[in-house]
Amino acid sequence: MLPAPPAGRDLRLDFFRGLSLWFIFLDHVPSNIVAWFTVRNYGFCDASEVFVFISGYTAAFVYGHVMKERGFVIGAARILKRAWQIYVAFVFLLVFYFAEIAYVSSHFSNPLYTEEFGIFDFFQKPDVVLIEALILRFLPANVDVLPLYIALMTFFPPVLWLMLRQPNLTLLFSVVFYFVAKTLDWNLMLYPYDHSWFFNPFAWQLLFVIGAWCGLGGARRVAPILNSPPVIALCVLYLVFAAPLQLSWLFPSVSGRMPGWLMILPLDKTGLSGWRLFHFLALAALVIYYVPFDAKFLRSNWARPLILCGEHSLEIFCLGVFLSFSAHFVLTEISSLIAMQVAVSLAGIALMVTVAALMTWYKDIERRGGKPPPSATQEGYRGVTAS
Amino acid sequence: MRMLSVALSLVLLAAGAARAEPNSCDVPDNLVETFARLPRVGLSVKRDHKLEIVVLSAAPKLSGEASSLKSYPYYLESELRERLKGTDVHVFAQSEPRKTILEIARDLPRLLSERQPVLVIWQTGTVEAMRGIDPDGYGRALDSSVAALQNGGADVVLINQQFSPRTDFMFDGGPYTENMRWVSQTRDIPLFNRYEVMKYWGETGAFDLTALKNDGTYEKVHRCIGRLIADLVMRAASLSGNVER
Repeated sequence: MLPAPPAGRDLRLDFFRGLSLWFIFLDHVPSNIVAWFTVRNYGFCDASEVFVFISGYTAAFVYGHVMKERGFVIGAARILKRAWQIYVAFVFLLVFYFAEIAYVSSHFSNPLYTEEFGIFDFFQKPDVVLIEALILRFLPANVDVLPLYIALMTFFPPVLWLMLRQPNLTLLFSVVFYFVAKTLDWNLMLYPYDHSWFFNPFAWQLLFVIGAWCGLGGARRVAPILNSPPVIALCVLYLVFAAPLQLSWLFPSVSGRMPGWLMILPLDKTGLSGWRLFHFLALAALVIYYVPFDAKFLRSNWARPLILCGEHSLEIFCLGVFLSFSAHFVLTEISSLIAMQVAVSLAGIALMVTVAALMTWYKDIERRGGKPPPSATQEGYRGVTAS
Repeated sequence: MRMLSVALSLVLLAAGAARAEPNSCDVPDNLVETFARLPRVGLSVKRDHKLEIVVLSAAPKLSGEASSLKSYPYYLESELRERLKGTDVHVFAQSEPRKTILEIARDLPRLLSERQPVLVIWQTGTVEAMRGIDPDGYGRALDSSVAALQNGGADVVLINQQFSPRTDFMFDGGPYTENMRWVSQTRDIPLFNRYEVMKYWGETGAFDLTALKNDGTYEKVHRCIGRLIADLVMRAASLSGNVER
């Protein structure tokens, strides 16, 4: 029996964050047939947008209350502590990544992959690579949303300070910054080729700040506009426009016949293209409209696994990346048949749910074991944690 | 819940059905079909009875024991010679080891004047994916390079990264292939999706692509790739060869 969710918590956040964590895991298992089910095939945005937005939302909600009640310094300290935890998680995953690369590079000499051996060039100078990785200048594929999260959290205290006083002005700054960064091609550079971050933090900050703005009451303020029939119709239209376009991209025989003016794909993910951003916002508006705060299914048994994963998002994200490495290992060492892809995908999700359930169970035990329940000023304010 | 189980059983059904003969080059048509045309190739074969092809790639040359292995440009040439009797077919493999698109683009004018190809088969995207170059910028550079080749009198076929199961998690070629597809559609040139083709072979058991050491798969895979590219060239240039398969 899975533990029940605490009362009064906005389960939609956990539910959709859990869903995005499942999708991120499925998309990260290389050439996995089950990834057909994930959101990225049916629209412009993918699970990364959901993850960043909800992270911004909960960060503002939780640390906003801390900052309001206990002051800027305590609030900032909490946020930086969280950034540090994410950094440690990132380093943890890095170790697994390096271990797998080291294993492959020392056993691998199949001439079929001579060109791909280039990836091992990075490890000619392990001392340099390790240092560069620790200062976030060497980012392996698949973990790069964590460095983004670290960067966003590190600079969040002043943003949150301003947002508690001038939410709309902060949002405006963020929008302006997004456009300036895009116009001037700002991005952080990486070792060793002076290429840039896959998730450009100067662009993706916008989605995080929009999330934060919504988390501090912005969503309520614009609710009358968002729920108006023309806006809802517009959102539906946009999703209806995006879905076949994105799907056609999977079938060259269809997209090959498309007129040139419809050739807007592929969309820029690094710089968070406007098409992607608006696709996510339309999706979010519809979810808020059709899934009320107290929707029944959120408390049903089949929603529990997702909500449990969403409650422990950092841990489950890391577990997901680790599991995707392991799934890849199984697929290359044992079998890559489609049935195996389905099996490792299901096993991975089952493991994510089990670990999340154990963590919730343990947290409950700890809490009952003498410690008082978290007060309104603690991280567990109204049951929402920033994890 | 019902939806999920229906979907799952569909997937499992597909999984059971997909089984291939060992060492078979066969792939479903949708993996190799193209709507683009190669008009310069067609003209050169029909009018001048010659076909000058350059295969351009950033792959390093094979070394040691592997250096005697034959690669797909070799097989492409022998396939085309067999099919186009009476046509003087040359395939020249131009390797620019570990160079990115920006470095290769600089050399294109020289390549055009020295070799005067009517067809450039360009294998690209792997080095860029390994180095994490901005996919959007890659797409723009590829677009202008393809335009330069076309203006220089050559048709172009793009080839994306291969399916390399052991290094698949280390870098993501997806965004680069997507940009190649965008270029192939806006410039109306064929894209040979080597990744999907090889993935199909791996998943159906036609070839074991996971071997750590040289197990003889190299030449078998390259022979199949050479043959499939020859098919693609014949079709896109509307050529009917002496040998029909």
